[in-house]
Amino acid sequence: MKKALRIIHEEHRALAAMLGGLRQLVEGIEKGRMKADFGLIGAMIEYIDKLPEKVHHPKENDYLFARLRTRCAEALPVIERLEADHRRGEARIRALEAAADVFRQGGEIAFPAFHAEVLRYIEEEWKHMNAEEHEIFPLAEKHLQDEDWAAIEAAFVANDNPWEGAAGEYAQLFSKIVNLAPPPIGLGPGG
Amino acid sequence: MSKMLLEAKELHTYYGASHILHGIDFHIRQGEGIALMGRNGMGKTTLIKSLLGIVRPRHGRVMVCGDDFTKAPTYRIAQRGIAYVPEGRGIFPNLSVRENLQMAARAGVDGQREWTFERVMATFPRLGERINNGGWQLSGGEQQMLTIGRALMTNPDLLILDEATEGLAPLIALEIWRIVKEIRKTGIATMIVDKNHSAVTSICDRAMILVKGEVVFDGDSETVRDNPELIQKYLGV
Repeated sequence: MKKALRIIHEEHRALAAMLGGLRQLVEGIEKGRMKADFGLIGAMIEYIDKLPEKVHHPKENDYLFARLRTRCAEALPVIERLEADHRRGEARIRALEAAADVFRQGGEIAFPAFHAEVLRYIEEEWKHMNAEEHEIFPLAEKHLQDEDWAAIEAAFVANDNPWEGAAGEYAQLFSKIVNLAPPPIGLGPGG
Repeated sequence: MSKMLLEAKELHTYYGASHILHGIDFHIRQGEGIALMGRNGMGKTTLIKSLLGIVRPRHGRVMVCGDDFTKAPTYRIAQRGIAYVPEGRGIFPNLSVRENLQMAARAGVDGQREWTFERVMATFPRLGERINNGGWQLSGGEQQMLTIGRALMTNPDLLILDEATEGLAPLIALEIWRIVKEIRKTGIATMIVDKNHSAVTSICDRAMILVKGEVVFDGDSETVRDNPELIQKYLGV
């Protein structure tokens, strides 16, 4: 696998770990095994917001998709679909945040809507990541040329830190989540 | 070139009649990071145990900082600045977190005391919250952090981690990797065995792959990371 694709894959894994943790948390709340810790929920949403929006998507849009667009017409519909997903990302995360806020204010009665919003968000993210890995990656490996990879990798390697951000700016947020999340998700106090 | 910390020549190790390691040459220098890789049962843990005197190789030599330690007991190897975080952790369940850490405290080989109790607390803030809890009360992730913290309290030159994230939830595993990366930055040499190949190869500069007790690859870890054929062939993923 090309280095740039490996970095994207690693970022997907880190994001998937966080999404998996969020899913476990809402399932734990639903079953009464875990408390609704809004500090933790807020931190998880903040991480999911910041990492893809500030670190991950710009790399894909500005380098990988931009180069592939010029090399492979077959990739255009997929790229357009994925870029549209990226554009909707902000609205989707705001919807998730709003649902969390309604849950915080409304209590138990508002939980099902929050739960549904979390599951919808996760499902869309999975579809998006799968499309990138199963549709874009093979086309990129087939059609991009050495000069494309050199340019993409130069940009990606400068930002090769999948779960902390390039300068480790999200490391503290990540640690906070791990230390707040109840077992078995993290190291925090029991549910 | 930096100082040689641990070296092995032509190691042959057996369990009874089973010949596990077939003439392994190994070395790790000060500050270096090595990912020791291979499928299950290929000899990774046996190599570590042979290097540390936990299992005696039948042939070959083990050198620590240039001195022959082939027949030395494990504690003497540990005293030369080599700390081992074994698979399965191995904390003392009846001692508190504080006691587990304090009992390991000692200066490093050159008298260095960079890893103090306070520094370990700062590296693993979660342990600070559990300081008076017994080892048996800790979750798997907390136990792993305690084991690494305890190893750091010996102020080692080389830290060996065997399956450090085995059985841990993905978020906790990522947190352990973040901490190991921080430890690497302090200049401690590290040897890591883990099934998460991409994590270990991103942390370590060198990779060594074992197949049936023989070294089939020893080179820079980027070569492994960027070579799916190599991974498929020797690591089977």
